[in-house]
Amino acid sequence: MTSFFRNTAAAAGFAAVVALAGTAGAAELEKPAGFGNRPLTMIVPFGAGGGSDQLARAMAKAMEEVAGITFQVVNKPGGGGTAAIPDFMLAPPDGYTVLEHIDNAISAYAAGDIRENPAEDWVPLCMTQITFSQIYIRSDEDRFTDWESFSEYAKAHPGDVTMANLGKVGSMELVVMEQLQEALGLKIKQIAFDKPAERYGALIGGHVDVLFEQPGDVRNFLDADQMKPILTFLSERPSAFADTPTHKEVGADFEALTRFRGFWVKAGVPKDRTDFLAAACKAGFETADYQAFNKKKYMHLIDSFRDTEGSIELINNAVASYREMYKKLGIGK
Amino acid sequence: MEHFIGGTVMLFGDPQAILIFALGLVGGMLFGAIPGVNMLTLGAVLLPFTINMDASHAVMLFSVIYCAGVFGGAITAILFNIPGAPENAPTCFDGYPMTLKGQSGKAIGAAVSCSALGGVASAILMMTATGAIAGWAVRAFGPQEIFALIFFGLAVSASIGAKTLWKGWLSVFVGLIIATIGTDPVGGVPRFNEGSVFGLEYHSYYLSAGIHFIPMILGFFAVSEVITQAMSIAEGTRERPKAGLEFPTLAEFWSVRVTMVRSIFIGFFAGILPGIGATLAAFLGYSQAHRASKNRRNFGKGELEGVVASETANNAATGAAMIPLLALGLPGGALTAMIMGIFQIHGMEPGPLIFINSSDLVWVTFAAMFWANLCIVFLGWLQTKTVVHILRVPFRWLAPGILLLATIGAYALRNLVIDVWVMFLAGIAGYLLRKTGYSAAGIVLGLILGKLGESAFSKSMQLMDYDFLGFFQRPIAAGLLILAVIVIATSIINEIRDTDFQKALMD
Repeated sequence: MTSFFRNTAAAAGFAAVVALAGTAGAAELEKPAGFGNRPLTMIVPFGAGGGSDQLARAMAKAMEEVAGITFQVVNKPGGGGTAAIPDFMLAPPDGYTVLEHIDNAISAYAAGDIRENPAEDWVPLCMTQITFSQIYIRSDEDRFTDWESFSEYAKAHPGDVTMANLGKVGSMELVVMEQLQEALGLKIKQIAFDKPAERYGALIGGHVDVLFEQPGDVRNFLDADQMKPILTFLSERPSAFADTPTHKEVGADFEALTRFRGFWVKAGVPKDRTDFLAAACKAGFETADYQAFNKKKYMHLIDSFRDTEGSIELINNAVASYREMYKKLGIGK
Repeated sequence: MEHFIGGTVMLFGDPQAILIFALGLVGGMLFGAIPGVNMLTLGAVLLPFTINMDASHAVMLFSVIYCAGVFGGAITAILFNIPGAPENAPTCFDGYPMTLKGQSGKAIGAAVSCSALGGVASAILMMTATGAIAGWAVRAFGPQEIFALIFFGLAVSASIGAKTLWKGWLSVFVGLIIATIGTDPVGGVPRFNEGSVFGLEYHSYYLSAGIHFIPMILGFFAVSEVITQAMSIAEGTRERPKAGLEFPTLAEFWSVRVTMVRSIFIGFFAGILPGIGATLAAFLGYSQAHRASKNRRNFGKGELEGVVASETANNAATGAAMIPLLALGLPGGALTAMIMGIFQIHGMEPGPLIFINSSDLVWVTFAAMFWANLCIVFLGWLQTKTVVHILRVPFRWLAPGILLLATIGAYALRNLVIDVWVMFLAGIAGYLLRKTGYSAAGIVLGLILGKLGESAFSKSMQLMDYDFLGFFQRPIAAGLLILAVIVIATSIINEIRDTDFQKALMD
């Protein structure tokens, strides 16, 4: 059945039409022959209600709008995003199964925790959220109020300052913090938390001193003035955080890893279908609704979109950086 | 108070809101009461639709489903020994024996009244104290206190459902061991996901997701119940439970008033702490009632007090669980995480500002939870009069339906097929456990608390530089740990004394 489709599709061999961007109800992309007449499955490897889930649902809606296809979003949480991989790999390579995933799949691959290369065994359709990390303190913290006073405090109390962070060995979070501490000669005790809610509660409740996070995830705490950023891991200050210094400004000269989320299909999906889905993703990214969604998550501060080629480049660069760091730190397989 | 009246007026002055309220109430009860599926299943199905709903309606819908779902699961727990949701597992211990004694009406009546009572009390506390309590809980309870609380929970619940204390502890330890399968909470290292068994190499991403307690509960209670009943039908020893229709008397309620109040406090407290939630509340409520009761010997044999303790506590946790969610944006369980998602889908973030920016939404939700709990009394009473007649359906017709729904429920949880395998394996194991006097509930509790406890313990140790004595520099943590040790010591002494006493009788 699928081979029949693949043959006809290959015979058809046309590229997807580029959608008129930005307007809802724009001209729909033309579907490849025999594709998209039944719902596609979008696998989300994290739980309902979380950041990945919200992104997947927003993107599914936007792609439905521009491409005339329908999605069923299915959450398969567990194992830090790895439990969903076998079901994705077992699905036939017909373009009907799309996977949402985040950069921790890339670090897991670099560390040897997963066997599938996200740039080769999977075909990235697009990345639609790219964001940077920051260090946050409580707004009512009196021991330090900005990066300068914090770093003085940390140097005066080496190893006593605690940071709530993700604990996964070799994660983006720990690698970035490792690089910062090495560059500035700081010692900040990393406390591994497994659930985001617990990390935020630990900072607000005073159980840790600082928090490592991305601005979109703690927006409500920022708006409520319960937390404030003291350092941004980015080469230049983004407009929304013009008063917060970047890591380069305080003397740490390294390219900070980013957090990114995007969409993949399996390798082996007919090219016309992959191209169509990639075009649908781009057009979906450009819809007003999706742009508004990204803005709410502080995802508009840096260029948040990569097409297939850009994604592969982003992934390969990230793999190289991680492997280099792992060699230095002595982790990974 | 005027906020509450305002919320009520908004709720009942809007036909659409009334409709959603009613649907949530009935839907939560139905999904709670069908073995195998539960309110989380309904929540996951409805979540995509909330995008197009009014934010206050969507949040209200899920809050009502939460209240009704926690109650609904009591029905099947009592009638078939199959908890409709994990929160209702301890309700089985005495609810089902009551059904066997022909007191199903009494048990369900008690569950209805106590769920409503616990829920209403919780809703009132939630309305009066959300801001203050949330701030206090998050400050006073760091990882160390959470660990101490979980340790205390293990200490008091260890002998639940087991024939002897030793078998109870062994069951809990098995649960603790199962909890180590999966990704470790600190380093994210996958455990037991690859290796070799009997010389066969295996590598499984599924196992890195760990063993979830909900399929375990479905297996231990639903599947193994089907096997047990099938065996007794085959052996011709099955007694059909008699449908009883009488409600508990006021005198009976009065006699367990202390247990009710205790369970309200336990449930409320467990609900406030993020990650602890209604399931643990029910277990704690039950085990505390068991410890304090004068009729301790009758627990597990159809004691009304056991049903009261468990059902009051789990509903008392519902309102409390909304406190950290609304005031701090910290969800404590799967359903509250979905509510958090609804807020975010609609561009709002729960947190201190929610009371200023979305005061209407908060109060409609509060009012809806209050009225949902009151409605449970009436609807539950109707259910009592009708649902017990399910007992008249021959079991050979019910059984396939139960297995089918349990399979759907296990899969729908995470859409991972491992959960279905776990459920059937647990079903077979549960059947064998029942025959040997070990406790399925103890294993489940060990699994739940093992995951929570390991996470809290590892964070505590990191914060205290791996100095265990650091626990004793914190009054709340130290108090709980010392209490736990006292509880363990006295239970062991009692057990030894009891066995000696029985030996003396035998001689």
